[in-house]
Amino acid sequence: MLKILIPTLMLFPTTWLVPSKQLWVTTTAQSLIIALASLSWLKWTSEAGWTSSNSLLATDPLSTPLLVLTCWLLPLMIIASQNHISPEPINRQRTYISLLISLQLFLILAFSATEIIMFYVMFEATLIPTLIIITRWGNQVERLNAGTYFLFYTLAGSLPLLVALLVIQTDTGTLSMLTLQYSRPPMDPSWSNTMWWAACLLAFLVKMPLYGMHLWLPKAHVEAPIAGSMVLAAVLLKLGGYGMMRIMFMLTPLTKELAYPFIILALWGIIMTGSICLRQTDLKSLIAYSSVSHMGLVAAGILIQTPWGFTGALILMIAHGLASSALFCLANTNYERTHSRTMLLARGLQMILPLMGTWWFLANLANLALPPLPNLMGELMIIVSTFNWSYWTLILTGLGTLITASYSLYMFLMTQRGPLPNHMIALEPSHTREHLLMTLHLAPLLLLILKPELITGWCF
Amino acid sequence: MLCSLWCEKMLSRFSRFGSVLTRCRPSNFCGTRLLSQSSPSGAAGSATVSDLQPSHAKESHGHSEVSAFEKNRDYHGFSQDPVLDEWNMRMAFFFGISMAIVVGGTFVHYLPDHGMRQWARREAERLIAQREAAGLPLMEENYYDPSKIVLPEGEMDAL
Repeated sequence: MLKILIPTLMLFPTTWLVPSKQLWVTTTAQSLIIALASLSWLKWTSEAGWTSSNSLLATDPLSTPLLVLTCWLLPLMIIASQNHISPEPINRQRTYISLLISLQLFLILAFSATEIIMFYVMFEATLIPTLIIITRWGNQVERLNAGTYFLFYTLAGSLPLLVALLVIQTDTGTLSMLTLQYSRPPMDPSWSNTMWWAACLLAFLVKMPLYGMHLWLPKAHVEAPIAGSMVLAAVLLKLGGYGMMRIMFMLTPLTKELAYPFIILALWGIIMTGSICLRQTDLKSLIAYSSVSHMGLVAAGILIQTPWGFTGALILMIAHGLASSALFCLANTNYERTHSRTMLLARGLQMILPLMGTWWFLANLANLALPPLPNLMGELMIIVSTFNWSYWTLILTGLGTLITASYSLYMFLMTQRGPLPNHMIALEPSHTREHLLMTLHLAPLLLLILKPELITGWCF
Repeated sequence: MLCSLWCEKMLSRFSRFGSVLTRCRPSNFCGTRLLSQSSPSGAAGSATVSDLQPSHAKESHGHSEVSAFEKNRDYHGFSQDPVLDEWNMRMAFFFGISMAIVVGGTFVHYLPDHGMRQWARREAERLIAQREAAGLPLMEENYYDPSKIVLPEGEMDAL
């Protein structure tokens, strides 16, 4: 664990002490080395359960893929922000990179924590750098409103979780995930236990976000700078799914009955947010709503509580993290050239930037779950497990995939095809940096086809 | 060598972006789009009013008609400085592609078989082929041979 944490900590002195000209190249290189080293987490030394060097920080097949994804995202965020941030004064650039590094640090500690209260603290700590990134480096005045939504939705959702955790601490005397799974007695469905159940899940359902509690997400995505959008879509939403999977084993007898409305809400959310995507004019907002739609499927998969549901949810979380982050990067390359997120104002870009058109095509295919990408594997496993729970869910999930394909086509047609507007006369060509960025997003996704057992979690 | 090259390039540093709205020459006064030769102010100590504006207010990505390739024909999108640009590109490609994707991918591919899952799969396939060839059912009703199970006797009596 320390082999990643110490280099990540040392990124701070690197950022602040390196000569200003070499700031971006050094941080990119060092964070990529950390990402490479993080792959060693995938070598689980125990046959089942946790691999740990101490009792506070440990990894298991559920958290490792998310940890590697976290480490992979930092260099990508740095490369993606380079064009946007490098004209700023040097100290502001250093502050920006430091915030991204602190985010990685908090996320590593959250995903590898064995004490639930430490997970909770780190879960909350990630809010601070994200909030600063959104409200300081966002593009419009509305970023302040978006920051308020982001902070208060998440805080209001997670305070009941703190109370619920304190209840567990009082009842059992421990909050360690290593022991808690053996010591929690089954509970009767009393009112107080029902409230406790809801408090345990609410924070994660807001973070996922579940349809109905998702309003902060499109705002935050639209207003955040590129790195904020990337980390939000790729990792921060996954904190919700990860937390739900971790806490689910403690809620065992209650969830079976109480989860019904939430599963239906999640599946209904797929249809609703997909339909919202179909009539979006704002490119980033469309991608944000498509994230809500996909995470609805993840929430349903987790709440079903079958091995296939859990595995599908984890696969979809990783695959969606890479695909949606790639889409946000593409939206940013458009934004840096046209200074607009409105899709109508930037049509026919395939004519000017044909290679970017190819990347759009590939990223769209990944987002709509083309076989044999892991996105499809994850979706199929969740759809099968919900179908096994109730045949009627196939209407919702099937319609959801159809709508996903439709809005992906809509997004591709609106940005890449059609007539070129007359006001587009001098667009910069696409740069090596942007192609590298897309390659680094999609290559892991393609390679995961060859070794899916890395991201299947506990159950396989 | 590299440092001296950088110094040379720094002296002749040429700002393409962020140049239209420089602090001494607001674009309002310019009838046509102009190219400033002044380098962008980087030091925090010399912050002026224009430095306090958000960068997108003064930068001119895409809007300026200044060619991105005028001083740097092989612009890779990393830095305005041609030497640094190429250096940064090479570092990002080396650590991103050669190290992380290629070396990392090789490492992951040759990871040991966790939980002997691949072995179990191979073994199952071998067993199926063997039993089908022998005309046996794929699986017996009793997973363990009942005659071989030795149940403890008299345990309750001993208690």
